[in-house]
Amino acid sequence: MTTAIEMNHVVKTYGDFRAVDDVSFSVNEGTICGFLGPNGAGKTTSIRMILDILRPTSGSIEVLGHPVASQVRDRIGYLPEEKGLYKKMTATAVIAYFATLKGVPSSVAREKARELLDRYGLSAFKDHKCEALSKGMGQKVQVLASIAHDPDLVILDEPFSGLDPVNQEVMEEVIQDLKSRGKTVLFSTHVMSHAERICESIVVIAAGKMAFHGSVEEARNLLPSRVRVRGDDISDLVLRLPGVQSVKPSADGRADVLELHISDDTDPQLLLKQFFDSGKSLDTFEVVQPDLHEVFVHLVGEDAREAADR
Amino acid sequence: MMRIYRVAQREYLENVKTKGFWIGILLFPVMIWLMVEVPKFLEEKGIPTRHVAIVSRDAEAGELARQRLTLLNRQKVLQALQQHIAEATESQRKEMLEEQEIDAAALLDRLEEGLEQMSQGSAEINPFNPKQLVDIGDLIPDEYLLNDGQWLAMRNLLLNQLPKGSPEFVEPDPRFIEVGLLPGLTDMATDAEIETALRPYLRAEKLYPASGRNVDLFALVLIPENVLSEKEPIRFWSSNLADTDLLDAITDSLTDRVRQMEYDSRGISSSEVKEIAQIRVRSNNFNPNKQEGEEKVGIRDRIRQYAPVGFVYLLWIAIFTVAQMLLNNTIEEKSNRIIEVLLSSVTTNELLLGKVLGVAAVGVTMQLAWIGSMLGILRLKAGPGAEWVVDLLAAVVSPELLIGFLFYFVTGYLFYAFLFAGIGSICNTIKEAQNFMSPMMLILMVPLGTMVFIPNDPNGTIATVMSWVPPWTPFIMMNRMAASPPMGEIVGTGIMLLISVIFVFWMSAKIFRIGVLRTGQPPKFLELLGWLKSSRP
Repeated sequence: MTTAIEMNHVVKTYGDFRAVDDVSFSVNEGTICGFLGPNGAGKTTSIRMILDILRPTSGSIEVLGHPVASQVRDRIGYLPEEKGLYKKMTATAVIAYFATLKGVPSSVAREKARELLDRYGLSAFKDHKCEALSKGMGQKVQVLASIAHDPDLVILDEPFSGLDPVNQEVMEEVIQDLKSRGKTVLFSTHVMSHAERICESIVVIAAGKMAFHGSVEEARNLLPSRVRVRGDDISDLVLRLPGVQSVKPSADGRADVLELHISDDTDPQLLLKQFFDSGKSLDTFEVVQPDLHEVFVHLVGEDAREAADR
Repeated sequence: MMRIYRVAQREYLENVKTKGFWIGILLFPVMIWLMVEVPKFLEEKGIPTRHVAIVSRDAEAGELARQRLTLLNRQKVLQALQQHIAEATESQRKEMLEEQEIDAAALLDRLEEGLEQMSQGSAEINPFNPKQLVDIGDLIPDEYLLNDGQWLAMRNLLLNQLPKGSPEFVEPDPRFIEVGLLPGLTDMATDAEIETALRPYLRAEKLYPASGRNVDLFALVLIPENVLSEKEPIRFWSSNLADTDLLDAITDSLTDRVRQMEYDSRGISSSEVKEIAQIRVRSNNFNPNKQEGEEKVGIRDRIRQYAPVGFVYLLWIAIFTVAQMLLNNTIEEKSNRIIEVLLSSVTTNELLLGKVLGVAAVGVTMQLAWIGSMLGILRLKAGPGAEWVVDLLAAVVSPELLIGFLFYFVTGYLFYAFLFAGIGSICNTIKEAQNFMSPMMLILMVPLGTMVFIPNDPNGTIATVMSWVPPWTPFIMMNRMAASPPMGEIVGTGIMLLISVIFVFWMSAKIFRIGVLRTGQPPKFLELLGWLKSSRP
């Protein structure tokens, strides 16, 4: 399988500050990759380097088989983190303009713009000036502007921020559509549920450094499973069970449910047996996989807090 | 190339859609129209008729003062009549531009001849040289104007020159009208009595009753008995200190008389003095730059000398309007973060060039519209004043001047456009931009200040030195072009200007590249220098 993006030991420094510190990962063509990291982790800087808006201090980046993105920039679509449109232009005109900058002939670009607006439920706003659009609408228009030239690689920086749940779904749909047509999508987010649903692989960076690169499944396996239990008078018992590392009230909000973090080599079935042996009655016993959210907090929690304090 | 064109095209179309653009385009013709109409209006209506009460204790002095007012009134009519004829006969205005020498003696001879014919009942022959119409006002001796019979004859003579079908001449309101004293007051009253009685009218507290109407009383003039013999001062009462025309007219008339008496008493012939006073040395002006045989300098040449000033203005206005657009657009793109999308599609150089060219096209459109509307209005409002501008343009369309203007216009524009785009790229708001703009404005004010004296000394030291300062080169050299500055200087400053434009482009591109992605405070000056040294971000 060929790679759409290949980052090799990429470093970007601003004076003494290492914004991106030895980041390496690759994204296969035709896949969706989530680019995760806390605020200030270096996601936007990395994305700008992939797009050749910024040049890395050291390391190399290969995009669609070319050493510099500007050589293939007509084949890349980009939605920046901070969204903005020309206020005085109509939605159709903006989409068409960005498409023409990517080499699409003017008439085709206009046609394409109308078609996209129709397809994603914005027909009514075709001739509205961008200043008249709501924030979410504007963002959708901008997403459409980034894909109007039918790029092979689409890079979306925080595409879900500022969208209501319905439009977040539309956004997911847009990304899935792209994938189904064989396009590669790299998007950054810090809302894990999106990444969990649609990504094949994820890259996690924190404080400029690589924290993880692999599939969602692999990420989940980073953390041991948990066991949630509820029973009468078991709070002393659970602390004494072998393999249980810590006990916390369950995060899912149910009353009296305890969450047991167990070591990797502990078999939940053995745990259940021990409950029986002790004669305590349980009305709940469930084994849960850690979700991406927990993995993320586990991976970058400390760094993120530090960054927030900085 | 295609991307530069796309960026420029959008920049152009979006700016052309703005209200500011259309206001700019429409405002200019309105201004030109006002410039043509307002002086006319002011001339006609600006100085209202002045009503004056004159009390003279000396019969002769009173007569002289009144004569002078009549004279001024008739000169105004004559002037209006000339203007009227000139407007009605277009062909004459053209010739007026060519000739500026007036042979006063010949004119008077013809005037006498014409009047002679008039008195014999034939008005077939036109005694005036039509070329000299506008200038005859001051040349006609006072005696002709003061003699009622001759005044009427002359007036008819001029009216006869109006081509058939031209609009009727409406005589303007007189400049001065004398009003009688208030009922119950006579010349026998003392100065103090008269002054007390008229004081409220002079203060504009009341309107003055004069021949059935109530008018504003402008002034009261009390001429003492021995004004001529003892030169006792006249008493001039008026609350308007600014308009001295009336006072000047009266004192001049009396001064003339007093001087004449003085000449007589010393045995000097006053008519000879007058004759002598009229002797003038005149000049014919020649320009060594012109072909042999055509060296004589006419009005057209003078216009040519000053035509560059118009172009300096055009460049200046172009830079100003365009600067604003470039700043606004760059700051919009920057503050909206559109710039990032743009930079994923085009390089900073393409973006910078596209923006500058697109906005330039807006500027050119605006200026063409201005020139077009100016010509249109001047054609519509054709009058003696308007011909000058048409001629000015004709003078400018000589190829060597035009090439020069185009060169300086383009380079001057690019120089400043790149600078302004660079400034726009480091600012997040218009307010931040203002700080950077102030020094730029100061630099731009300098050539405006020199515009008046450069044509007077186009190859002088100041002009030469300023020509070598790149921000001023286009303005100063444009201004000097008509005076054929040395070839070496043209080529030298031209090359330097081109290098400066390239340098400014390089500098702005660097600043632009870093500035557009930067948020927060605009950089300090030293930081900017650092950017220039740095390679690509």
